[in-house]
Amino acid sequence: MIQVQGLTKLYGEFRAVDDVSFTVQPGEVLGLVGPNGAGKTTSLRCLAGIIPPSGGVLRICGHDLVKDPVSAKRHLAFFPDEPRLFDYLTVWQHLTFVARIYQVVGYEPLAEQLLEELELGGRKNALPGELSRGMKQKLAIACGLLHSPKVIYFDEPLTGLDPIGIRRMKDSILQRARGGAAIVISSHLLHLVEEICSHILILQNGRKVADGTLEEIRRKFSEEQADANLEEVFFRATASPPPLPADVAKPGRGG
Amino acid sequence: MFSALFYLQYHSVKNRTVSRLKRLKQPKYLAGAIVGGLYFSYYFVRPFMMPGQGVQALPVARLPGDPEWVELIAAAALAVIALAAWVLPNRRTVLAFTEAEVAFLFPAPISRRGLIHYKLVRSQAAILFTVLLLTLITHRWGGRAWIQMAGWWLMLSTLNLHLLGASFARTMLLDRGISNWQRRVGVLGAVGLVLVAAVWWVRQALPPLTAPDFADLDRVKSYVSSVANSTPAIVLLFPFRLVVGPYLAGDALGFLRALPGAMGVLLAHYAWVVKSNVAFEEASAEASRKLAEKVAAIRSGNWQAAGGKAKAGRSPFHLSPAGPAPTAFFWKNLISANRGITFRTWVIIAAVVLGVAVGMGNIGGGRTLPVVAGAIAAMLAVWSVLLGTQIVRQDFRQDLDYLDVLKLFPVAPWQVAFGQLLAPAVILTGVQWLLLAVAAVLVPQTPNFPWRWPAVLSAALSLAMVLPALNFISLVIPNAAVLLFPAWLQAGKEGPQGIETTGQRLIAFLGQFLAFLVALIPAALAFGAVFFLARLAAVWWVATPLAALAATAVLAIEAAFGIYWLGWLFQRFDISSELNP
Repeated sequence: MIQVQGLTKLYGEFRAVDDVSFTVQPGEVLGLVGPNGAGKTTSLRCLAGIIPPSGGVLRICGHDLVKDPVSAKRHLAFFPDEPRLFDYLTVWQHLTFVARIYQVVGYEPLAEQLLEELELGGRKNALPGELSRGMKQKLAIACGLLHSPKVIYFDEPLTGLDPIGIRRMKDSILQRARGGAAIVISSHLLHLVEEICSHILILQNGRKVADGTLEEIRRKFSEEQADANLEEVFFRATASPPPLPADVAKPGRGG
Repeated sequence: MFSALFYLQYHSVKNRTVSRLKRLKQPKYLAGAIVGGLYFSYYFVRPFMMPGQGVQALPVARLPGDPEWVELIAAAALAVIALAAWVLPNRRTVLAFTEAEVAFLFPAPISRRGLIHYKLVRSQAAILFTVLLLTLITHRWGGRAWIQMAGWWLMLSTLNLHLLGASFARTMLLDRGISNWQRRVGVLGAVGLVLVAAVWWVRQALPPLTAPDFADLDRVKSYVSSVANSTPAIVLLFPFRLVVGPYLAGDALGFLRALPGAMGVLLAHYAWVVKSNVAFEEASAEASRKLAEKVAAIRSGNWQAAGGKAKAGRSPFHLSPAGPAPTAFFWKNLISANRGITFRTWVIIAAVVLGVAVGMGNIGGGRTLPVVAGAIAAMLAVWSVLLGTQIVRQDFRQDLDYLDVLKLFPVAPWQVAFGQLLAPAVILTGVQWLLLAVAAVLVPQTPNFPWRWPAVLSAALSLAMVLPALNFISLVIPNAAVLLFPAWLQAGKEGPQGIETTGQRLIAFLGQFLAFLVALIPAALAFGAVFFLARLAAVWWVATPLAALAATAVLAIEAAFGIYWLGWLFQRFDISSELNP
């Protein structure tokens, strides 16, 4: 569903993402983890087609994201850490607009259902400026899910959510994965990643340190500690980083 | 504690200046700085260096020769501003701090008085800059620069303190249960009493003005002067006259004579402000947030959002989920453009304007008003082709902060570009057609106008044909500039400022103008060729629409290429390198 081969992103001579490859199959949830400046957000934005990669092949549902972006983008949804909404469109106008862009014929019942599920049913005519941060995030989620994407990216999906919202978000992610979506989650919250991700990819300084199932990663870095949690594994994996490129001291971008 | 605030202010100014100087290493800022510097030096500094050179003073801008009248008018203007500070506002005290200042200073162990002092020192930076600008402007009409600078500083500083003190007083009155309307009635009542007393006073000394007196300007001036010099008005205007005194002093001695009075008023205001103990923090925190949003909205060209509480716009038409994607962008941007104004409102406005024009046309017969109105409408139509794009900005310029969202959509880049330009193009075309219709109805009322109705209709129709394509071309240029040089037009709170930005805007506008002229050349050639051929077989008012049709076809092809190019620019636009949101 998501095939990434040799993804590279350069800023001048600085390598924000350096030759990263991985695959996410339908139903899998990949947790993208790494310290600040590891290249997580940059990778996600490349995978979403927001910024052009400097190198590599990115395939979404079989479509090359660089050569055939329109076909590839039809299948994906990206939820950044800050909800990005047009401040002049109401809640319902956002959904109408997105329905036209993604050609979701007969979207009204689905849109109504999403708004009800996300407790936005009574705020259809509200502008984003009249919504709380959590509500804005819910609206962004409703817009992203309206076209039933097969590939979904989340960048820090729990930011700004209350405990009920967190629980619902986790359930929603797992429900989408069970429905056959390929999901990538970038987060610093290792307990979230451990709880809902089937696979882990650890990035550091733009490079892949490890990837595989949680068990595989645990086996690789747990040093014979069978009960080591992801936090311990993460620290071990990132404690001895791969050799730094000469220009890595330059300030990093993204997360 | 004050040293910490001074440290903050000093280093803020210093770092901002250093960072602006550093960015001059980039050619785009350097070019902007050179052009901006030349512009300012030509218009403002040159008259200092070379008196009599530069732009000639406008006669209307010359101050009246009678110093007494100048003093009276200046004092009255200050009085009106001061009065407005007591009457108009309905909010509590609002000291505008930045969001960062609210976050760092409000929770810090700094007294309220300390915050006020900090605010006063900060406001001095803006006042000094304004003083410099005002002196550059006013000095063009003569006088001593240092006197003008000091005079402006005294006036602006006193006014600043008065506005702040008045806001404190308003808050205190509200806290004591005196509503805004009670305060307004009280203030206006007191001022009205003084004015009535002044008029009564004068009527005791002078005969009242009669109808014929109004035809005699000297008589009116004499009467007003008498009112102004009556005891009640003298009392009312006395502090304001003191404040404007130093600015109006003709020489150093006069300035020194006027200075103590003005300084006295200034120091009294300072004491009033710092002695006030009003809780302004909550209102200021809220105002700072709103101010930040407003600044961001203005810099992104979203004037409606900057104007106050945003209103949800009605959908201009039903957007079905199936159909071309550009329509969705058109629909979205029309909503943005029409917040608070519906499509029906526009239709009503257009109908009323046309109705008035037709009515004026019927009373025509060489009367001045219809002709002037028609000429203005024609000029506005022409003017809007180039400058209208600077006003109607519901395109990439409005959505510069949303480019990451637009890039997510599964829509071909040229379709995004076309959709983004549709709304401003349609709005501009609608307005221009209306203006054209008004001009076509009214301009022929000019005495001895040479054209008959078929000719007028032909010219109007020809212009109406070329306008949509012209608007698209005109819109492609600034939108391409946004995608090519986003740093020059970047929206958001940290948008560019300074002399180099003025220069960049001048360069951008000149570039747009030149590109527009170049785009017109092929269309003009097509127009000329078809007109020449058509004239062999038809009268000019038949040939003109045919030639306009050919020109429109050429312009449409150019616009299509432009839109495709704009889409290509949008596709290759690397948000992370340019905007880094």
